[in-house]
Amino acid sequence: MTNGIRASSRSGEIPQSPTPSRPAASFSNVGLTYGSGDQARVILHGITFDVAEKRFVCIIGPSGCGKTTLLRMLAGLVTPTIGQVACFGDPVSGPSRQRAIVFQDYGKALLPWRTVWSNVALAFESGGLARSEQRDRSYAMLRRMRLEQVGELYPGQLSGGMQQRVQIARCLAQEPRLLLMDEPFGALDALTRQTLQDEFAQLVAEQGVTVVFVTHDLEEAIYLGDRVIALASDPGRIAEAIDIGLARPREQLATRASEDFQAHRRRLFHLLQEHER
Amino acid sequence: MKNVARGALVPLGLLLLWEVAGRLGMIPVDSVSMPSSMWSAGATLLRDGVLLSATVQTLHTTLQGLAFAILLGVAVGIVFGLFPRVQGVVGPTLEVLRPVPPVAFIPLALLIFGFGVALEVSIIVLASVWPILIVTVAAVRGIEPRLIEVGRVLELSLVRRLKTIVLPATAARIGVGIRIAAGVALVVAITVEIVLNPRGLGYEMIVAQQKLQVDILFALILWTGCVGVLFNLLVAQVERRWLPRVS
Repeated sequence: MTNGIRASSRSGEIPQSPTPSRPAASFSNVGLTYGSGDQARVILHGITFDVAEKRFVCIIGPSGCGKTTLLRMLAGLVTPTIGQVACFGDPVSGPSRQRAIVFQDYGKALLPWRTVWSNVALAFESGGLARSEQRDRSYAMLRRMRLEQVGELYPGQLSGGMQQRVQIARCLAQEPRLLLMDEPFGALDALTRQTLQDEFAQLVAEQGVTVVFVTHDLEEAIYLGDRVIALASDPGRIAEAIDIGLARPREQLATRASEDFQAHRRRLFHLLQEHER
Repeated sequence: MKNVARGALVPLGLLLLWEVAGRLGMIPVDSVSMPSSMWSAGATLLRDGVLLSATVQTLHTTLQGLAFAILLGVAVGIVFGLFPRVQGVVGPTLEVLRPVPPVAFIPLALLIFGFGVALEVSIIVLASVWPILIVTVAAVRGIEPRLIEVGRVLELSLVRRLKTIVLPATAARIGVGIRIAAGVALVVAITVEIVLNPRGLGYEMIVAQQKLQVDILFALILWTGCVGVLFNLLVAQVERRWLPRVS
């Protein structure tokens, strides 16, 4: 179960300011159990892995394997029953602005009574900025996401792909050090998904943010990730973690057709199938 | 306008029948009056200024009571909605108070406040706070959990979370509670005036009854009906103007 786990690069007890050598996220022997006694249900068990700073890590696994729960632990929305989750060396004890999370159900994560720009401005609201400054910054982010045309519209007037871009814009506006994505493109049609994958990969590269990306789509994980962690279910545990060495920038047709891509795909496919049984 | 005309058809027809029956001596005019004498009684009341001052008194206490009920109901409702444990502790006590008819508190309120505005307002609050409270709790519980999580991840303060997420997300439903409460408030105001408070439309009714002025009594009842309709329209209008639309 521990094969393929990256050796921790954490530098021990020596106090120091956060450096790239400190993992952006680290799980040490994390487990989650609901209920107790006969009714105890183990959701996650013995999860140990690190995410190095500025890396793009994808987590895949069959539905119900606990991959979303893993992400929610990083966000501070779920507390593990054993083990410890840490970000940049500090234990996670609750939600923080430093860790933005993009939810799959974009329709529910946006405020329907606020315009698009005002939804993005939510990220600035605890910062004490003047409303005009919030507006300028929101529009700057919207321009980067090519959303400035719809700034004055309401989320309900946008397509699914646009709404998800608004949510991503809000999360990036938050200027997080760690960006958590929970199957963000899962509810979108194939074409929109591919467009957003490329846009997002480029934004992440520009912003230099660490990403933990949960998906059930094997190809999406390989296409986007520097590293793919595969989970097995009952209880949720790490089955395998592999590094994806594909060159960047990646390209929808060429990258996916490459021999390396296919090899990764075959390997992870068999792995997941094996654990499915 | 066409709808108004269609809606006015039945009441106007009934008034006409009533008038005709009264003039032909088919009904005892001494106890049920007729529209023409009600009309002249109403005109007299209006000229004396009694109608206006009584209406203002009643509406004033109704609005005041409703305002307190909204503040109390929304505040307690949000606390109960956000913190189910608080409701677990305080809720049962309130559940015991709720089924008591509000008018049953009139004697107690009279001892505490004496005659006047405070007496009436207190009973109105006791009666109209419930729909607002119940609807607010349900509305807060019904807020999309994702939105609450967004507020937590952005580390918004409790006050800011109330302002940016909780209140806008629940406003439309709370508005429904307020509309129900507004109807209750007016009914209770007039009830308290009829039962013992010497002010407002209800008191004028009791005075007319004691003087056996049936036409005045009828004029007041019909006028109260009109006031009620106008009051509900006003509340609906304020709600439409002020509460954000959640589409």
